[in-house]
Amino acid sequence: MKPTDSQGRSWDEVPQAIKDTFEKLGIPEAERKFLAGVKAQFESEVVYGSLKEDLSAKGVIFTDTDSAVREYPDLVRQYFSTIIPPEDNKFAALNSAVWSGGSFIYVPPGVKIEFPLQAYFRINAESMGQFERTLIIVDEGAEIHYVEGCTAPMYSTESLHSAVVEIIVKRGARCRYTTIQNWANNIYNLVTKRAVAYRDATMEWVDGNLGSHLTMKYPAVYMMEPGARGEILSIAFAGAGQHQDAGAKLVHGAPHTTGQIISKSISKNGGRSSYRGLVKVEQGAKNTKCKVVCDALILDSKSRSDTYPYIEIAEQDVSVGHEASVSRIGEEQLFYLMSRGLSESEASTMIVNGFIEPLVKELPMEYAVEMNRLIQLQMEGTVG
Amino acid sequence: MTDFLKVATVTDLPDPGKLTLEVEDSVVVLFHVGGRFYCLDDVCTHDGGPLGEGRLCGHAIACPRHGAQFDIRTGNPLTMPATVPTRTHEVKVEGGEVYVRINQA
Amino acid sequence: MTAIATTTAFSHATVESFLESRHEPDWMLDQRRAAWRMFSELDWPDRRGEEWSRTDIRLFKLDKYSWPPAVSDDLRTPPAVLQQGVHLAGSSAALDSRPVASHLDPRWAQQGVLFGSLDQLLAEHGERLRPFLQRRIVNPYHDKFAALHAACWSGGHVLYVPRGVVIELPLHVFSAMTDGGLDFGRTLVVLEDGAEATVLAETASWSATAGGLHCGATEILMGCGANLRFVNLQDWGQGVWHFAQQRALVGRDATLQWTIAALGSRLSKVNQHVSLVGEGASCQVNGVLFTEGKQQLTYHTLQHHEARHCQSDFLYKAALQDRSRTVWRGMIKVDPGAQKTDGYQRNDNLLLSEHARADSIPGLEIEADDVRCTHGSTSGKVDEELIFYAMCRGFTRREAVRIIVSGFFQQIFDRITIESVRDALGQAIAARVREYH
Repeated sequence: MKPTDSQGRSWDEVPQAIKDTFEKLGIPEAERKFLAGVKAQFESEVVYGSLKEDLSAKGVIFTDTDSAVREYPDLVRQYFSTIIPPEDNKFAALNSAVWSGGSFIYVPPGVKIEFPLQAYFRINAESMGQFERTLIIVDEGAEIHYVEGCTAPMYSTESLHSAVVEIIVKRGARCRYTTIQNWANNIYNLVTKRAVAYRDATMEWVDGNLGSHLTMKYPAVYMMEPGARGEILSIAFAGAGQHQDAGAKLVHGAPHTTGQIISKSISKNGGRSSYRGLVKVEQGAKNTKCKVVCDALILDSKSRSDTYPYIEIAEQDVSVGHEASVSRIGEEQLFYLMSRGLSESEASTMIVNGFIEPLVKELPMEYAVEMNRLIQLQMEGTVG
Repeated sequence: MTDFLKVATVTDLPDPGKLTLEVEDSVVVLFHVGGRFYCLDDVCTHDGGPLGEGRLCGHAIACPRHGAQFDIRTGNPLTMPATVPTRTHEVKVEGGEVYVRINQA
Repeated sequence: MTAIATTTAFSHATVESFLESRHEPDWMLDQRRAAWRMFSELDWPDRRGEEWSRTDIRLFKLDKYSWPPAVSDDLRTPPAVLQQGVHLAGSSAALDSRPVASHLDPRWAQQGVLFGSLDQLLAEHGERLRPFLQRRIVNPYHDKFAALHAACWSGGHVLYVPRGVVIELPLHVFSAMTDGGLDFGRTLVVLEDGAEATVLAETASWSATAGGLHCGATEILMGCGANLRFVNLQDWGQGVWHFAQQRALVGRDATLQWTIAALGSRLSKVNQHVSLVGEGASCQVNGVLFTEGKQQLTYHTLQHHEARHCQSDFLYKAALQDRSRTVWRGMIKVDPGAQKTDGYQRNDNLLLSEHARADSIPGLEIEADDVRCTHGSTSGKVDEELIFYAMCRGFTRREAVRIIVSGFFQQIFDRITIESVRDALGQAIAARVREYH
């Protein structure tokens, strides 16, 4: 869990709605304060300490980006801004100019990290900041799973958050980057995330968008050498006053690459959920296989769901398929569950949980539990 | 094989400089850098943007849409988000006049 | 020595002189003048917007074309494919934006059907047609092309079918163009409540390489319970720039089956919109695109569900050869009150060559919750195993590909309920299949 950027805030200043949610989610007291940006000692420093030793013994570098620029300048310079150059889009430009914080990870060849690395392990992080810049390099044959964010609502006084994440996955390596975002309802969350996968490398994005007033985020995988694989699993939940504009991009730039996008979105209480995605197959990318499935649930007539997929195929030897559907909760399903004694609300919740199950089962255990609880709260309409 | 067509005089373009032109069925950009002339399709292979409207820096042209850079000598992409080369066209200079042969490939 | 000034054919002076030659009611002339003013004020489309970012028209030059259309003695038109072997209730033809000939079986004329050249019928039945022509079924100010058309249209066709009249035989409308010519035809089809008709609309140039400009509009208005089958075969020469706005308003319980086959043109930019405005309206759109050379066909379609209980089903299939390119952008838009919508959209692309490119952008914007909306898109190549199998059976490679391409389009052919159209399309496509190794 990352600290928010207003350090030194007192617990009293934290909005009551946030405190209530912590309560309902059962977040431990110390964590609550940490999450809310209240400076406090955090017991897991001890836990983190021993993990850190273990990692550095293997040659893994895991620190904040500011420190990395100072301590490993050559390594950083080799990759920084090569995946997302400054003029890529105006938020990347802004980030390039003023970035601060974020993670820097380097995993040496052949090193496989069995447990997920979490953003909050970096206790020495200054501030989470509005403009984090993360750079992850997974060297040949290495493996890593990185997790950021949390299901508890993140509170920040700054309303624009514009992060940039660049990832390089080298030959035979594997990287999974999981994000659960639940920013408070005043936040504009505009993120550029892009990974490049080389020969026989696999990149997976697991992206959960629950909060913020507006999120615009389209994690991308560029498959640049044969055998590369990109997979993106995206969930968006848009409640009252929210617009989740999320999706995925897959660029097949070499032969024999495979891609998959699964997007699930839910709109409720006037929320608006949009899927925006790109599948691009360059000429020469023979034997590309790619499949996109987008399912959207609209839970009431005030809400809105959009799907904007872009498919550009410049190579004939491909198999590319895309399907999307928008619907509401099936009457028969509801009726069946209610006839088993569940209330309408409980039945709907169960159905929605089933709907997002493919994502939830990919999360580390504690996230999965919290995620399910959060969905339940959202469905009850008690979380703003 | 198409012919060389006269497209400009040497003095039409400063050094460094660039000029977007229509030549037969193509829209191309003519560059004058380091005393030599080069010609590329006016198309960024990332998203179809107009390269000719971008910024020229040394031998690199940056597409105004998302900043992808191409080497004007080879058409090769230099930065993300472009990953595919753009088409180059042969240029020759004779008697103070610049000729371009459109590459039909 | 006199300096020769080059002027474009389209100027305030030439437009005014054109209007004077029209002998049209004032309300129509006013409409044209307003559109001309809009044309003068608007810029050519901006490449940065979503609508034009994939369709590059920088090489299009309006001043290459001469206008208004010259009077000519030679009114021969190229052969019309959809007419062959078909018994028709009527036909109407135009060449280079001038009406050539039209006829309607008197049996229908007696029942109040109007059919033929829009130019001529406007002169005779202006007041009857006025509400439809003023309705703005197609938005005349959508962009510079739409405004140009609304100001300068001529050589169009109209079909008006009164209440309850059912025309069993098809009606054929044909717009042809000479090399370098111009077609600004406006097609209007109005079916009152309970009316039924079949319209076969065709366009052609004299040769496959001919050039020219088509800037047109198709407007369809269907009343309660009406039933229309509309077929559009576009086979302009491959030098023709083709810009068209097409829109249908489908009323309560009315049914529209709209088949589009696009084979020709150098570059097409077509907006095809269907608005389901009355409860229970339904439409089925079948699109066949088959490209070659350096053609680019861009189709932007819209299924707009404004009313409840409506159904829309769009299937577009494109096969691409050589270095050609297709852009298909489809949107299903469901308004907040349009409950019980059933919307479906699908685009399949078959890439027959290494250098072809297909862009497919299906879209959904859904604001009602009790709906069922799905879309799908697939892209791929011909299965080499099938080719191998066919060649083992004695077919040449080209014949094998032809069979497979026909198979690819079969799903669309099955949806076309007019046999002569199925046959004509099938032949036109088979003739165009190239040989690749």
